[in-house]
Formats: sequence, C-alpha cells, structure tokens
Amino acid sequence: MGDLTRLVLKRLGLGLLTLLVVSILIFFAVELLPGDIAEAVLGQSATPETVAEMRRQLGLDQPAVWRYLQWLGGAVQGDFGVSLVSGEPVSEAIGDRFVNTLFLAAYAAVIAVPISIILGVTVALLRNTLFDRVANVLTLTSISSPEFFLGYILILFLAVKTNMFPAIASLSSDMSLSELLNRTFLPALTLVLVVTAHMMRMTRAAIINLLASPYIEMARLKGTPPWKVIVKHALPNAWAPIINVIALNLAYLITGVVLVEVVFVYPGIGQALVDAVAKRDFPIVQACCLIFAATFILLNLAADVGAILTNPRLRHPK
Amino acid sequence: MSVFVIGYYAALIAASCLAAYFNYRRTFMLLFSLTLVSFVLGIIGGTPALRVVTIFAGALALAVGTSYAFKEFLVQIARPNLAKELRTAPLTASFGMFVIFTYAIAGIFAPVIAPHGEAEVIASAFAPPDANMLLGADQLGRDVFSRIIYGARNTVGLALTATILAFLMGALAGLLAAVKGGWFDQIMGRAADVIMSVPSLIFALLMLSIFGTSLVVIVIVVAVIYSPRVFRLTRAVAGNIVVMDYIEAAKLRGEGDWYLIRREILPNSMSPLIAEFGLEFCFVFLLIAGLSFLGLGIQPPTADWGSMVRENATLISFGDITPLIPAAAIALLTVAVNFVVDWMLFRSSGLKEH
Repeated sequence: MGDLTRLVLKRLGLGLLTLLVVSILIFFAVELLPGDIAEAVLGQSATPETVAEMRRQLGLDQPAVWRYLQWLGGAVQGDFGVSLVSGEPVSEAIGDRFVNTLFLAAYAAVIAVPISIILGVTVALLRNTLFDRVANVLTLTSISSPEFFLGYILILFLAVKTNMFPAIASLSSDMSLSELLNRTFLPALTLVLVVTAHMMRMTRAAIINLLASPYIEMARLKGTPPWKVIVKHALPNAWAPIINVIALNLAYLITGVVLVEVVFVYPGIGQALVDAVAKRDFPIVQACCLIFAATFILLNLAADVGAILTNPRLRHPK
Repeated sequence: MSVFVIGYYAALIAASCLAAYFNYRRTFMLLFSLTLVSFVLGIIGGTPALRVVTIFAGALALAVGTSYAFKEFLVQIARPNLAKELRTAPLTASFGMFVIFTYAIAGIFAPVIAPHGEAEVIASAFAPPDANMLLGADQLGRDVFSRIIYGARNTVGLALTATILAFLMGALAGLLAAVKGGWFDQIMGRAADVIMSVPSLIFALLMLSIFGTSLVVIVIVVAVIYSPRVFRLTRAVAGNIVVMDYIEAAKLRGEGDWYLIRREILPNSMSPLIAEFGLEFCFVFLLIAGLSFLGLGIQPPTADWGSMVRENATLISFGDITPLIPAAAIALLTVAVNFVVDWMLFRSSGLKEH
C-alpha cells in the first residue's frame, strides 16, 4: 500500500503545482493591462493625483511579486481583497453566491449521474439498434446546443406555456427546501440535459470498449448468463472509467453553470463573474476565476485518483 | 373523428401493411409501434398531439429526402474516388454537409439574400411579422430575418477565423515539438497543460475583462484557449510518425525539419487533423456564441446570433419563439459539423464498434 499512497501523493502534489501556476497566471494576467488597474478603473476621470492616490490605496506602489504573495496568502484564508466598484470585501460579495452555485451544481449532479450511467450502460448493451441510433442523435443534439438555447426552450415550454415551474430563480433565505427545489428546477434541468448527454456518450464508449475485451467474450463463450457477465465480469472493471466520466462531467458543470445562471438570473458566482467582467472589477474577476479553476483542477484530480484507486494496473506504470 | 384523424390512422396502418407484405421487418416494426403509440397519444392528447407527430414525421422525412438527394448530387459531381467514399456516407453525414453548404451560401451572399441592412431601423420596436419582415422586428425595430442572415456571416466567420488561427498555432507547435523534441517539447507540453487546466469560458472571461472586447482580442484569446487541444493531438499523431523508418531515411538524406514536416509528416497525419478541425470548430463556435450571449462578443450594431438571443429574450416570456431562432441556428450548425466529423472519424480510424 505504501506504493499506492506515494502514487496518490505524487498526483496530489502535481495538482497543487498546477493550481499554483494557474494562480500566477490569473494574478499576472491583470498586470498585463495597458497602463494599470488604477488607470483602467478611473478611465476618463483619471488625473495624475487621483491615479496616484488609487495606486497607493491598492498598494500598486509595491512590487508585483510581493502583492502576488499577499493576494495568494489572503486567498488561501478566504480573503480576496476589496471590490473596486462597491468597496466591500470580495469574500462577502461572493460567499453566499458560491454556496448557491454549489447547491445548483449538486442538484443537477444528483439527478444527472444515476440517469446517465443507467442510460449509458443501456445504450452500450443495445448498441447498433434503433434505440442506440436515436439516443446518439439526441445526445449529439443536446451537446451541440448552447446552454442558453436549452434553457430558453425549457422556459418557453415549462414556464411560459404550461406554467409548471417559475422561469426566474429568485432565492431568499427563508424558503423551505421543497420551495427551493421547485424554484431552481429549470436551471438544474438545463444542466442535467447537457451533462447527461456528455456522460451517456462517455459511459457508452467506455462500456463498449470493455465489452469488446477478450475476457468478456470468454465468459460469454463458456455459457455465463448475460446478467452475470455484466455484474461479475464487466462491472468491476467498469468502475474506473465510470468514476472518471462522473468527475470530468462535474468539472464540466462548473463552466456550464455560468451561462445557465445568466439565463435564469440565478444569484450564483457565475453571474457575479459576468457582472464583474462587464464592470472591470478585477478583484472579483480574479477571485471567481481562481475558485472556478480550483474546482476544475480538484475534480480532474479526483478523476485521476479515482482511476488509480480502482484500476490496479495504473499503479505499476511501465 | 375528423378527416385528419381517420386519414392519419389509415395512412399508418396501410404503410405498416405494405412494409409487412414486402418483408421490410424493421420498417414494419417502426410503423406499427408508431401506430400503437398513436392510439395512446390520441386518447391522451387528442388531435393536437397527432398533429405534432405528423409535423415531426414530415420534417424528418423532408430531412431524410433532402440529405439523400444531396448525397446523390455530391456523388454525381465529385471525382471518381471521392464519389466512392461519398456513396458509403450515412445520411446524417450528408445532412450535415447540406446544412454546412446552406450556411456557407447564406454567409457569402448575405447582402444579396437579406432584404434589409443589418443595422437598418425599419419599423417600431418588436413589430410583428408582416409581408415586409418575415420574422418581425427586434428591440430597436431592425428586421430579424436580415440580421439572422448577416449573423451567418459575422458569427460563423469569427468562429472560423479563430479556429483557423488556433489550428495553425496548435498544429505548428505540435509538429515542431514532435520533430525537435527536447526542451521545446517539454515547455510546450507544460504550457498546454496549464491552459487546459482552466475552464475555457472562465479563461476567456478573464482575458476579455483585461484586454477589452475588440474582434482581434476575441480571435486571439479564443485561439490561445483552444490551441492546446490541437497541439496535443498533432503531437501524438506526429509522434507516432516521427519514429518511422522513412523519417530516419529522410533525416539521413540530410533533409531539414521543415521538409520533414511538410513532405513526410503532414501528408500522413491529414485525416485525423481534418476531423479535429471540425470538432475544434464546434467548441470555438459554442464558446464564441456563449461569450456574445453574455454581451462580450461581437459588439452592436453588428448582427450576431448570441447577442440577438439575449437582446430579444424578453419576447420568450410572451410565448414568442423568434429569439430562439438564432440559438437554433447555432445548434443546427454545430450538430451538422458533428455529423460530418463523426463520419470522417469513422472512416479514418476504422472505428467499427463490433
């Protein structure tokens, strides 16, 4: 087992390193601004005095590396600095929103994961039948549609024409859980549609790959009943690709959430990011980007570690 | 029982009988199960449900017919060995080619096809459709139909430019990395890892917030975000070719790197690269559509599908589907490209799933 821990630790270290490099990228990208933040924010109203005053307030008179270290140190403790527009701390502005976004993503994941795994395995078993072909065209269409297209179609049919769910996901803190689930159903469903399509295709490909391997054919030839081939022979080897598929698609949810939040006016971190980009509120942009990138890297890491844990062959790289 | 309902069931049953008589087993199963489903649907949803099924089936038949005819057309005009390939193409692929062809025509001849200019205000805001305006007017009173046609030129053109740039950068770096190896390969590989570890939309938002949203910036940013994908594929494909004996022979002959790339490696890695170009286009197109939906893409008054959806989204709450048409146009083109890419991948890799 010592071997295994070392492998996992090595992968974790690599993930941490990637995160560090990405944080450097996010911080120093803003340094590339023509002029600097103070000039960009003040814009037309910039006089030499106001620019100098703002630089002093933001600490821009200190060297960039020092500011980066301070920023990173704060970010690790959840302090992302102060918003340039409103002047309030960034962590307060996006804290609740981050929870909302996590809620939405979790809601979508809880629905999407079981459905897509079951459907993916089903289409893999029924491959090259009419059902498989139809599923192929439908999932391809769903993947190819921009998230806002699916979102507005759902609004049109489920909110405007039939009035079953609210079109705008306005939240307040004193709502009951069922009310909350009802309010956020449409954005969650949009995410479910996109992610399910991705997951189904990836599960299908993984299972078909597996079913083509010689040992499955051997099991079939010696007369094992089909359900037993699946449960006893195929499934243990299928966990690795399935875990991989789940983690990768949860990572995909993270980006999908930005567009969906804007469509449904959902008070999440994606919406905050888009607003901050329009207003050029760099501390918020940096904080949101870092959070999104960290989640993305973490989930990719989870996919790799999951694969290492469930597939002994990966523990002995040639 | 209206004439429509009677005709509907009569047609279905007659078609199933014909299929059964001529021993088309799968067609029969399809038609007859549709008949059985229609009984249930007819009871639950009444005539409207059956009408929806008819319209849907009609649209499907039209699409199948068009793609079949277009395929035959392509087979007729193509050179002999290309025609042989095309003959084996599935209908989805020829449907994709037909759609791409239509978009290309719309984009190239936009000023001729569109009845009005893209920024021309001709009516009051949100005016309903009339003889002059096929789809009505948008929030400023511009003709929606003309703007959709111009959008084919602007949105697709932008995506295509970004894809080509991404492809040139990624493929060149990949080929050089495969040929040179060593530190160049290492640096490029690590840089690609870092770029790919940030979600593309997030990365694009970060860069656009810094550099502003001019067209040049969008093209470069999107190209940088998606070039690592091309880099990895090219590096992998070319890496397999570089170890071949004929490359060794060419090196011994004293050929330079550039000759190796151009005359030995590129011709042998063309087909996966072309398929990748299609896939890449889909990603870039969806990213650019997403950005312009967020108001960070092509700036007004230039017509653009993503921002058109956003600007007219209020109409949806009145049950009007006009704002969805540009979004559907984006989806349709992406599906079409995917269909063609699927066929190309199948052809080039012999990916036969049996």
